[in-house]
This record gives sequence, C-alpha cells and structure tokens, in this order.
Amino acid sequence: MSQQACNTVATHDGDTPDEARRRFLRTTGLSALGAMLGMTIPFERNLPSGVIPVALAQDTGMDLMSGKTGLVVLGDRPLNAEVPAHLLDDDITPYEYLFVRMNGLVPQTALDQNAEGWSLTIDGEVENPLELTIDDLKSRFENVTRRLVIECGGNGRAYFQPGTSGNQWTVGAVGCPEWTGVRLSDVLKEAGLKKTAVYTGHYSNDVHLSGDEEKVVISRGAPIEKVMEGDSIIAWAMNGEPLSALHGFPLRVIVPGYPASASQKYLTRIWIRDKEHDGAKMTGDSYRIPAYPVAPGTEVPESDMVVLTNMPVKSIVTFPQTGTEVKAGEQVEVRGHAWCGKGDVSAMHVSIDFGQTWQEATLEPAANRFAWQRWRANLTPPQHGYYEVWARATDQDGISQPPQSPVWNPRGYANNIQHRIALVAVV
Amino acid sequence: MRILIRNCASAFAALALGAGLALAAPESDPMKALAGLPAGNNPLDPMTALMARSDEGADAESNAELGGLPDGPGAEDTYYQCVACHSTEIIKQQRVTDHRWDELWTWMVEAQGMVEPDDKTKKVILTYLKENFSSER
Repeated sequence: MSQQACNTVATHDGDTPDEARRRFLRTTGLSALGAMLGMTIPFERNLPSGVIPVALAQDTGMDLMSGKTGLVVLGDRPLNAEVPAHLLDDDITPYEYLFVRMNGLVPQTALDQNAEGWSLTIDGEVENPLELTIDDLKSRFENVTRRLVIECGGNGRAYFQPGTSGNQWTVGAVGCPEWTGVRLSDVLKEAGLKKTAVYTGHYSNDVHLSGDEEKVVISRGAPIEKVMEGDSIIAWAMNGEPLSALHGFPLRVIVPGYPASASQKYLTRIWIRDKEHDGAKMTGDSYRIPAYPVAPGTEVPESDMVVLTNMPVKSIVTFPQTGTEVKAGEQVEVRGHAWCGKGDVSAMHVSIDFGQTWQEATLEPAANRFAWQRWRANLTPPQHGYYEVWARATDQDGISQPPQSPVWNPRGYANNIQHRIALVAVV
Repeated sequence: MRILIRNCASAFAALALGAGLALAAPESDPMKALAGLPAGNNPLDPMTALMARSDEGADAESNAELGGLPDGPGAEDTYYQCVACHSTEIIKQQRVTDHRWDELWTWMVEAQGMVEPDDKTKKVILTYLKENFSSER
C-alpha cells in the first residue's frame, strides 16, 4: 500500500520512491498537504494517487515581507519577524519596521484587503448586543488617533537561562505606530455592560496552522477595568493607512501595556465574559507566569500559573547601531525609547562602565499615555577602547530594568533586561 | 500545591514551599549561568553574550532537505510530523528541558489538534527533539 502510493508520485524516471516523495513534497508544499488531509504521519501513504492539491494552504504572509525592511525572520510558518534595535529609531514606527507576530495564517479577507460585509459583534454580558459595521464604528463613536506601544509578551525570551520554549525574540518585538480607531470603552458603554461583566474575549477570522477551520488560532482578552480605562481602542488604521494584512486588516484591538497578544488582529467579535476569558492561549502556560518567583528551570504546576498583565518597564538604544566606531574624548549622542505597561516612564539612565556609574538621560514626555518616550544622552568615551552602553528605564514606582534577566518563568515572558550596545572608541 | 524542580537544588523547593531556608547545592549557583558563555559571541553586539546557550556548530550537519534539521535518528520522522503545521524554524530555535518537550507535545495534541503518530514514532521524535534542541545537554 505504502509502496504503491509512493510510486504514484514518482514522476521522475529513475527516482527511488523516497527521492520522488521528497521531490514531490518540496515542490508542492508538504504542510499544505498535511493540512488538507488532516494527517501527518505517515503522510505519503495517504496521498491520493494523481492528486496535486490546487488549494494549497492559506497564506503564511511570507510574501508580504517584501514590504518590510531589515527584519530578522524567526520563522516562516507561522510568520514571525523582529526588528534590529537600530531600525526602531523613529518616534512613530513605520510599517516597514514593525515586527510581525502571527499565531496562525493570514485570512483571505486581509490578503485581499476586502472588508465588504465585515461586522463586529459585541455580545455576552451586555444589555444590548451590537453588530457594528466599520462605518458604524467610524460614525457612531468619537474617533481617536494615538501612538500606542505594542510589544510581544515574549520579547526578550532569548535571554532567559535555561532556554524557554517559543520564538526566541531578542529586543525587537516592539513598536510604537500611530493607531486610529475608537475607544473600546465607548463601544462597551453603548452595549451596556452588565454587572456580571468581568473580562473581554477577542475573536477573529484568521486560520489555524493545521488548516482546520473550526479551530481558533488565538482568543485572548483583558479585564473589564483595564479596557474601561479608555486607553484601549478598536483600530482600523495604522499611521494613517488602513490596517495591513500582517497587522490585522480590517479591525484590531489595541490594549496598550498588555502583551500584544491581547491586541487581537482581524477582529470579528468581542465576547464579554462573566469570568476570566478562557479562549485559545489564555489557559495552560500561554501568556502566563508563575504566581510566585521560581528558580530557573523550575517546572510549575498549571494551577500556579497566572495571566501576564502589565508588561514591565523597558527601554532600547536605537542610535547608534551596536558596534559603531566613535572618537575617543568626543561627545556622542546616544538615544532610544522607553516605555512601561503601567503608563509613563519616570527616569532614564545610561552607563558606559558596565553599570558601575550611571548618568541620567533626558526623557521626553509621552505624546500620549502608552506612547514610548524618547530619551537622549551625550556620552564621552574618556579614552580609546571598547565600551558598552547599558540603558536603564525606571517606572513611576521606582522599579528599574535589571542588568540580567528578571525572574525566570517557564515560557519566557516579560524579559525587560537592560539593552546594551557596543561602542568602539578610536583615537 | 505541588512543585517539581529540575536542575535545581531541593533547597529551592523548600523555599518555594515555605519550609524554611536551606543551603543551595552548587549547581543552583546563579553565577553559573553567567560563566562559560559560548565562544563566538559577538562583542560588537553585547546582547549576544546574554542569550540562552545554543550548541551551534554541534556535530550533526543540518539537512537542507529536512528544513535544516540536523541529521540523526528521527530527523526525517520529526520533519514529516511537524511541518504539517509549522516550519522547522520554530523547532531550531528551541533549547528547552526534556520536561518542556513532553509538555509541548501534549499541548500540540490537546490544544493544537496535532495528529499523534504511533507510540514508537512518537518516542523516536521526542528523543530526537530532546537530543538536538535541549537546554540540558
């Protein structure tokens, strides 16, 4: 049976069945076949003879990476790509330098930029469930435009020791574009929250990696108190343009300060829950941290894991690029951004002597709450040699970024280790 | 509350359980994580010295026909099992404990709808993953 099936794909004379299979899989896309058949192993035995699948898998979005510049692709299915720190120097992150975090595949509506008939459902613990078109959103609620940081919960995961599972983001799964939309709180007020409303649950029309249309890719949410603060929005535009296919066309949530997985893309529904939302990737270890500090490498029972909420205070050095040559004894401007999941950052410091002494940097006010803040410092390497610039932001509670990874957690979330760049001072 | 500790002194377990202080075993020394960082760190990007250790340049050759997975027993089974859903890139990034690989397997089956192979193949694949993408060896 197996031999027979293999022979049917042996299209090249002289190939062994194994070679033929590999050739076939290379040229047609093994993953698509797997998805179509709902099968994995032993996959080749189940390939119907003579069938070349026409409808290959839904798009990963990889082709759209041509519109991005300089990103480091961590994975192509699902598509995940981060941005080297020196490309994040803009106050408003342009499209080409915004990281990509896909949990599934890009929906066809987004690829086609076709929002015809799109509606957003608000239901659950509300007095008046709503079905809103995009025009309804634009016309019935006050439109707001805000710079809001989105940062992947796993940004910095690469620095945890021992390693933790997931994409090994370094520093570049963060950005601060300018979003346009309506306040989520205004929409929920119109729907009329019941007293039983506790949490939001976000849904979209993206496609699961398995190709199973019934399967939810990701459905996270946020506590009602958080989204009613008025900073969270339902956005249809980024940097004055309709949302792109990679970033959530036609609608998405932005819950600033929370891991960006709460900022659902391709939004179709917000289900108001009477308990902490338990959608896909809300439970288990996903976007959860231990309820108490654990030693590195500890296995924590699921019942002791709690939802990650506010992202910690953090900063990056965006200029100069790491490894830049500078002149000894001459002043050089070093700059970057700082942000915090709780709101504004209160202070910014830099060190060029491995953290032995710190110099205060100037810190500009945020353009609006949850926008990242520009910081600048003038540094002078006293003599020729190798220097590291360490950057440390402090939040309004006096909590600073650590020089090493903060408390280890099994899935490697919320790592706000100080960013360091190298400068080589020459005579 | 039940807590399992791997690669850590039992002292930590005692601490977590609130049973009082005890001396930590040498392998729980947090300075150890800072020592002996792999050669080949790029001093022109100091963040590279802080990353989780990876055994790049290890013995096994990566096989381009298998999405760059290193050759070895189970490489092919692993490839065909995994790429039905995701590419090999996410596999190659991992340096995790054996326990985490077991948990990831369960998560993929239970939450992500992965079709499980027969027990023998499962064992081959998990052994391959633990051997090649480990924080423990």
